[in-house]
Amino acid sequence: MPADLALDALRTSAALGDASHVACVRVAGAGAFATIDRLCPRELFLRDGQLLHTLLLREDGRPLADVYVCADDRAFLLLAEGLSGDALVEHVRATAPVGADVEITNVSRTHAVLSLDGPYAWEVFAELAGPEVIGQPYMTFFHDDAVTTFRVGKTGEYGYYFLVPGEDADDYRAALRDRGSAFDLATANLDALDQCALENWFFNIRREGREDLTPIELQLQWRVSYRKEYVGSSALAALRGRTTHRIVQCAGATELAAGDLVTYGERTIGRVINAGFSQCRGDWVGVALLESAYSHAGIAAYAAVHAEVPVAIRTLTAPAVNNRSLYVNPQLHSYLTRDEVQFPPLVLPGSSCASPTAR
Amino acid sequence: MDADLATIVAAREQVLERLRATLIKQLRLERAPDELDPDMPLFGSGLGLDSLDAVEIAVSLEIEFGIHIAEGGASPVHLRTLNTLATLILDGGAVRAR
Repeated sequence: MPADLALDALRTSAALGDASHVACVRVAGAGAFATIDRLCPRELFLRDGQLLHTLLLREDGRPLADVYVCADDRAFLLLAEGLSGDALVEHVRATAPVGADVEITNVSRTHAVLSLDGPYAWEVFAELAGPEVIGQPYMTFFHDDAVTTFRVGKTGEYGYYFLVPGEDADDYRAALRDRGSAFDLATANLDALDQCALENWFFNIRREGREDLTPIELQLQWRVSYRKEYVGSSALAALRGRTTHRIVQCAGATELAAGDLVTYGERTIGRVINAGFSQCRGDWVGVALLESAYSHAGIAAYAAVHAEVPVAIRTLTAPAVNNRSLYVNPQLHSYLTRDEVQFPPLVLPGSSCASPTAR
Repeated sequence: MDADLATIVAAREQVLERLRATLIKQLRLERAPDELDPDMPLFGSGLGLDSLDAVEIAVSLEIEFGIHIAEGGASPVHLRTLNTLATLILDGGAVRAR
C-alpha cells in the first residue's frame, strides 16, 4: 500500500485541511444560555473563550451531532460535525425554549473552517501569528482581527480550527502553506483526518455515529450528564444500566471493515463498526461493538470475519498511537531540530497486532 | 467464555472497579462509577483533569496498587484513560513502589 504523505505528516510534522465538514452556528441574545443549556448534555460551566466537547442528542438519546460549545462573551458558537449549518440552525430553533430571545446565525454561510494538525502544528501557526500563540491552552479560542482560532482537534496531536471569512480563506490557506513549507506541511483530506481520529479513539459521527448507538455503548458518557434535563435526557436515563454492548478498539494484521462479524470460537459476540489501515502501525485498526462481557482491552482471542475469512484480532488499550504531541514541548523543541531528539516510538512495544503480546 | 478469558476479563474488571472508586474518592468527582467508561479521556476534553490531578492520581496509584509513577516512572501515555492505567497496573507497573 503506497504511503500517504498526509497521514505521515499528521503524525510527524503538520498537515493543513479543509474542515468544511464542520458547521459553525452562533447563538446570541438574552435567551442564548437557556437555549444552549437545553441542547447541551453536559453541565454548561464555561468561561469566555473556553470550549466544551459534547454531543447534540436526538430525543431517543442517540447522537445527532458531535459538537464543541464555545462561550463567546454572552453568545455561544457551536462547531458541529454531523449536521449542516442550516440543519443545525433549524435544530437550535426547534428546540429553543418557547419565547426565547435568541438570534441564530449560520456562520458557515459566510466563513470557512480550516484545520491544522500535527505534533508541530503549533510551530507552523506561530510562524504566521507570532510566538505568543504557542501557549494557547487546549480547548480555548480567541479572536484576532477577522479570524477565530480554536485549539482543538481529533487526531491526538496539536490541532487548530481557523474560522476565516470566506473571502479571506484562500489567502489564509496560502499564508499557512507558505509558512509551513519549512515544516514539510502537507494537505490532509477528510479521509486522513478520519483515519487519525480512528487511531486515536475519537468518536466519528460520520462512521460509528451512523450506527444508531447510545452514548453508553459508545463510551461517551463523559460527554453527558445524568443530573440535568436536555434533549434526549429522559431516553438516556432510561437506557442507563440496561445496555448490553459496548465498543472497544481492536487491530488485525489483515483487512478489517465495518460490518465484519466478531466471533469468539463459534459464538458471534459483535461486529466491527469502523475500520481503516493504520499507516503508522502497519496494521488495521477498528472499532468493534461487542457484548459488554467481552468488550475489554488486552484480549487476543477473537476473530473478525472479513469476506467470509476469519481474521485474528486483538482488542487494544486505546488509543492505538503513542502520539508524538505527548512528548513535543513547544518550549524545548522545534521541527527543524527534531532529529536531535529521540522521541518514543509512535507505536508502543507490543501494541502492534503482529506481536503476540499486544495490549 | 473459557477459563483463561474469564480470568483476563475478571482481572481487568476488578482493577477498573478499584480505579473508579479511587478516582471518585480522591478527586471528588461528582460521577457514579458506571459513568466512568474504561476508555474515557481523563485529561483535556474528557474529565478535564489537570496536572494537580495527575499528581493525585500518581499518589493514589502508589497507595492503592503499589505502582510508582510519580517521578517519571511512566510516560504520559499511561495517564490517558482508566484503561491505560489498568494496563499499567496489570502489567505490573513501570516501577514498583519500594
